[in-house]
Amino acid sequence: MTAIATAFGLVFDPYVLAVIMGSAVFGMFVGAMPGLTATMATALLVPVTFFMSPVPALGAIVTATAMAIFAGDIPAAMLRMPGTPASAAYADESYEMTKKGQLDLCMGVNLVFSVLGGIFGVLILIVLAPVLAEVAINFSSFEYFWLACLGLTCAVFIGTGDPLKGLLSLFIGLAIGCIGIDPAAGQPRFTFGNVDLLSGINFIPTLIGMFAVSELLRGAVTMEKAGMMVQQTVGNMFAGLGAVARKYWMNFIRGSVIGTVIGALPGAGADIAAWVSYAVSKKLSKEPEKFGTGHIEGIVDSTSANNSALGGAWIPALVFGIPGDSITAIVIGVLYMKGMNPGPTVFLQTPELIYAVFIIFILANLLMFPLGWAAIKSAKQILRVPRNILLPIILIFCMVGSFAMTNSLYGVVLMVVMGLFGWLLEEHGIPVAPLILGLVLGEMLEQNFMSSMIKANGSFIGFLDRPIAGTLGVLTMLLWGGMLWKALPFGRRQPAAA
Amino acid sequence: MRFNDAAVGFVFILIAAAMIAMTFSFPAFPGQQYGPSLFPRIIGAGIIGCSALLIVRGFREHAAGGRWLQREDWTGVPRRVASFALMLGAMAFYVVASEPLGFIPCAFLIQLVLFLWFGVRPVTAVVVAVVMTGLVHWFFSSLMRVPLPRGVLDSVL
Repeated sequence: MTAIATAFGLVFDPYVLAVIMGSAVFGMFVGAMPGLTATMATALLVPVTFFMSPVPALGAIVTATAMAIFAGDIPAAMLRMPGTPASAAYADESYEMTKKGQLDLCMGVNLVFSVLGGIFGVLILIVLAPVLAEVAINFSSFEYFWLACLGLTCAVFIGTGDPLKGLLSLFIGLAIGCIGIDPAAGQPRFTFGNVDLLSGINFIPTLIGMFAVSELLRGAVTMEKAGMMVQQTVGNMFAGLGAVARKYWMNFIRGSVIGTVIGALPGAGADIAAWVSYAVSKKLSKEPEKFGTGHIEGIVDSTSANNSALGGAWIPALVFGIPGDSITAIVIGVLYMKGMNPGPTVFLQTPELIYAVFIIFILANLLMFPLGWAAIKSAKQILRVPRNILLPIILIFCMVGSFAMTNSLYGVVLMVVMGLFGWLLEEHGIPVAPLILGLVLGEMLEQNFMSSMIKANGSFIGFLDRPIAGTLGVLTMLLWGGMLWKALPFGRRQPAAA
Repeated sequence: MRFNDAAVGFVFILIAAAMIAMTFSFPAFPGQQYGPSLFPRIIGAGIIGCSALLIVRGFREHAAGGRWLQREDWTGVPRRVASFALMLGAMAFYVVASEPLGFIPCAFLIQLVLFLWFGVRPVTAVVVAVVMTGLVHWFFSSLMRVPLPRGVLDSVL
């Protein structure tokens, strides 16, 4: 009980509340701007949060991402341009509603079900995380090794359209993670005698490069295409909401459950949650023929799903230290930098921190209601901010943020190199999210692998000896087998995903 | 700009091979077969495996009429190529010039040039560049105590 009281004290501090408020507005703005994603919002926030203590730092990230995922719905409905990839699944549907003159209802549904979906995901997180942590406390390096493998495999398998390229991206991330002093023996690897590289590839400049700089490079060549003018005005968003809620409450539950589960799966986040729940909604609907013509049903499912996925993603992140999506991957990187090793021991040693995250999550979702309403009402003004002013400003932020991480130009150079590299990878259809996961988890994976090897005296059988480790190991290897089958040229080919 | 998958695979095989070759210089521990070189070798093997599959795929694609180098529309528009280069150039400029010139002149110049290039009206461009440079400097330097390079303004700041 005292831990909960401490947590309330930590969160309801004027400074923390101000940080939450500020990042809420920031998240709303970034999410509403097409081309700026929730992950990018997090990447840009991290250099700022780096200088804060853990609670406001986590508060800023939680709040900004929750807002950004909702705000992405606004331009999706008004301009048919999803503000973040998480809204892409139903952007067409929303825009069809707008064309039919139902923008008000569409926005109302998006706002209310985003809030409810978000809260649903958090409740599952609150219930499940401590239970799982009690199981996880008995885990040894074997279990963690398999868990990390399983997580990374899921990231490749579920999170990407092209598993082969996803896997390659993951290996590249793990390889980049090898640079620096090796965690088991203290041997410098691949440093080429460079002092900066001895400390490893700094995670945050890499992140800013891959998620923000590569986006700027893409943005620079499409600058002229950006003609965004919102004509519509939004009236009463809440008329007719009651009827929708009564008719489609099952869709809300279903969407939230799917969202939470997919969010909890490593590597798959809000965007995939939205796609899957939209597809499920269409499949199980009594009137699937209406989908795509401006029908609210699928929107209820998917707008609940993408917000509940955020809470879901924190389950494996808090319990096992294995990120559920690219945002929690960033969070885990931040926690490591603050000297806290995410995992079940956090629940024992600093439970107030866990409770604080829960409280912030709920607070952020409640805050979404008034702020979201304000954002919808002022969408015309927000979307009028021209990209030709925005992109150079973001560039300055990226450079200063990267500089601040190392207090030297090494950070900036790393950011530029990784930005260009990330851009090249994405041009060739190689997703960067698995790479980031690999970079974050690489050290933990190797450490657990090496200590397991030493414990098992070099025999791989030892990796499967313990019951949970064995189960996880077999599961992982089954997944690998399936992946290999799919990736091999003579295996069953799925139609090339776009 | 997109090269055929086979080319991508080839490049990564080279990188992975170099990586594995380097692991042979790592010291081994007496009586143990698994030292600092084991993990990078496994990863290197993984990269080579994926890349080999990519090469097979690339050749099939080529046989089916795919190009070795697929150029996107913007690479044919000089202005867009210049935009791309300018974005990269701005970052390179910061790396080279921020120490001698200092953060404030660099950030101002970069923003001004980019604004003007992307067609922001001159008055707006100057005002926004001044305000944003000031804001960023105030936030990171004064509030967050990041030692942003002072450069030529050292005596003033």
